[in-house]
Amino acid sequence: MGGSSCFHVDGMMLLKQLEVILERDTLINEIGFVHPSQLATLDRSPDATHYDETAFWNKDHKLAISTEILQHLYRAVMQEYMNVKKRLEGLIKQSIGKYSSDSPTFGSDSDHLLESEILKHTMALLILNSDFGSAWNSRKMVIVRKAQLSLLMDELHLCTLILSYSPKSQCTWSHRRWVIEIIGEKFQIMHEIVGQDSELVKQIAEKSKMNYRAWSHLCWLIPYMKGTQVIDELNKSKKWSELHIADNCCFHFRRRLLFKMLEDISAREDDESCINQKIEVYFLWKEELEWNESLISRYIGREALWLHRRFLSQCYINYFTIDHETCNSNGEDFHGIHSTLDDFLDKELELLLHSLDVTDNEFEDTQVQAQHATSYIIWISKQVPPHKHEKLQSRLQEMDLKPIMIKLCADKPHLCVSPLLQDYNSNV
Amino acid sequence: MEKLEGEKHVKYILSVEKRKDDFESLVMDHLRINGAYWGLTTLDLLHKLDCVDQEEAVSWVMQCYHEDCGGFGGNVGHDPHLLYTLSAVQILVLFDKLDVLDVEKVSNYVSGLQNEDGSFSGDMWGEIDTRFSYCAICCLSILHRMDKINVEKAVNYIVSCKNLDGGFGCTPGGESHAGQIFCCIGALAITGSLHHVDKDLLGWWLCERQCKDGGLNGRPEKFADVCYSWWVLSSLIIIDRAHWIDKSKLINFILNCQDKEKGGISDRPDNAVDVFHTYFGVAGLSLLEYPGLKPTDPAYALPVDVVNRIFFRK
Repeated sequence: MGGSSCFHVDGMMLLKQLEVILERDTLINEIGFVHPSQLATLDRSPDATHYDETAFWNKDHKLAISTEILQHLYRAVMQEYMNVKKRLEGLIKQSIGKYSSDSPTFGSDSDHLLESEILKHTMALLILNSDFGSAWNSRKMVIVRKAQLSLLMDELHLCTLILSYSPKSQCTWSHRRWVIEIIGEKFQIMHEIVGQDSELVKQIAEKSKMNYRAWSHLCWLIPYMKGTQVIDELNKSKKWSELHIADNCCFHFRRRLLFKMLEDISAREDDESCINQKIEVYFLWKEELEWNESLISRYIGREALWLHRRFLSQCYINYFTIDHETCNSNGEDFHGIHSTLDDFLDKELELLLHSLDVTDNEFEDTQVQAQHATSYIIWISKQVPPHKHEKLQSRLQEMDLKPIMIKLCADKPHLCVSPLLQDYNSNV
Repeated sequence: MEKLEGEKHVKYILSVEKRKDDFESLVMDHLRINGAYWGLTTLDLLHKLDCVDQEEAVSWVMQCYHEDCGGFGGNVGHDPHLLYTLSAVQILVLFDKLDVLDVEKVSNYVSGLQNEDGSFSGDMWGEIDTRFSYCAICCLSILHRMDKINVEKAVNYIVSCKNLDGGFGCTPGGESHAGQIFCCIGALAITGSLHHVDKDLLGWWLCERQCKDGGLNGRPEKFADVCYSWWVLSSLIIIDRAHWIDKSKLINFILNCQDKEKGGISDRPDNAVDVFHTYFGVAGLSLLEYPGLKPTDPAYALPVDVVNRIFFRK
């Protein structure tokens, strides 16, 4: 920062200007921090009379702030904020003493003035530093006493604005959830909120790849989703993940949706009404497995796809296959919609065979694909009853796959110890 | 092969403390107490804790204390939170200065944040995360006040965040993440509850974090990052599966992330250094038994001699 080169910068004056901009244009939907030379090239805004044009630019609900003034602005807003924070805390202590209540309400005009000062300064502060938790807390302190829908929706708007340029801001996501929880308790609009936030997460995830916080937020919303919304989300995220096959977060979101459906049917009594639902989930699962297989063969060597398959297969084995040898159904009786475990394993071995076919291909991707496939089959062998291991081993031997698998596992101690490969060694 | 530039890292850490003018340092002010813990622990691992004025540091930490509730803020005048309370306690124990604390009050603050289901909120505003379970459990263990919480419920909540892949997330059903796994495994280790963990399954997920460049990532398909040298490796050590990764490749990766001129360690080779990654790089090397460093306790994230002092004195 070239702050020291400025002869004199009046941070307080700049802060006032910023706060006026934020007050006048409540629909700002994009903020950029730009170099002064870049700021100078932007089209002049017709109503740029109330601020210093070398510091700010505001037009069409976009706001640009010069990087040159950030430290001065930050110092000024911190000073203002710490002042009003102290006064707010004093007021709360005082009113708790007076009314001996946990959530005091403020009455006088000066109290209301203090509240709006808090909201004004923390907004400016959080725009500059979104992970400053105390500032979010001060907003909560004010909002919790009002719980008006319009105020809560304004909070969501502020979060959206900040997330648009700080998509990983932990405190902003946390504040958003806090606001949504209050909305959920007091107003009947969760359906809309879920839809809106699902869009938001995908927009953010588009620019900010594998954003753990964003996708965690969407997973957090799953319990609020109705049955049709779950199906809707499954469909929407399917298209999204096809375009982002390395994004494990989106696949995890799908796993949560699928697992929720599985849990829902498992929890229900086995009456007539839910049989259709069970059949639906069974076919959904098969469809997901087939879709995943097609992605695996289209996009070679992608870890997220193979990990997704581990989950799908593990649940499929547990809920939808039947083992003839022990005559035990692993899951419940799904009214004849079970596959046998042997059939399932045969199909997975075919996938392995296909994925290990690297004979005339020395590309790195295919090597990685072969490693993922080997690792996957060893993973599956851990999910099936021990008496299946022998069968798996003899099938691998028939298909002559063991030597290449052992080679692929050579530098992977956790795979080398698999009985699937060990016994072969001792047989030789 | 590269070597550890210990002296330069000491200089770098001491310089971070003095640099307060630019915007980048200003916006880190809210977690200054975390920064202090990272910096001071690094100095201790490098046998250089005596480079700082202990009294000044302890008195600053105590300025972050909230006498009314017993928690610590991230800086003077900032709101209290478990994330900062743990750092404060860790710093004080590094200096062997726990006696300045009202232990009863601090541990009441921590235990007061346990919820009915055993989880912990980070502060009075109620956000729940397994990170906060770790902060609470680690903190209370250091203060010898574990009896103040329902340990069984705390453990059950953590176990409820376990995924089918063996990893753990921030809440039940949350995606597995190496940072969250460290918090869960660390908390289970401290409470003596590792029997809830399928070590082979979790070890599998963790060792798959090693990338071609030797570094560790925190989730599938991500680039390696020095900080996961800590989160992943400490978890692997706790569950006794550290031999499943290639240690010498990891050492090389960390050493390649050093700024060999000015000191400090970055997330990846040739990136800008910061105190967070400097700590995790040095602590990772310590876990890898790199010569010249104090050994680190993988669950408490403190030098082993400090942990021994907590539990074996008298």
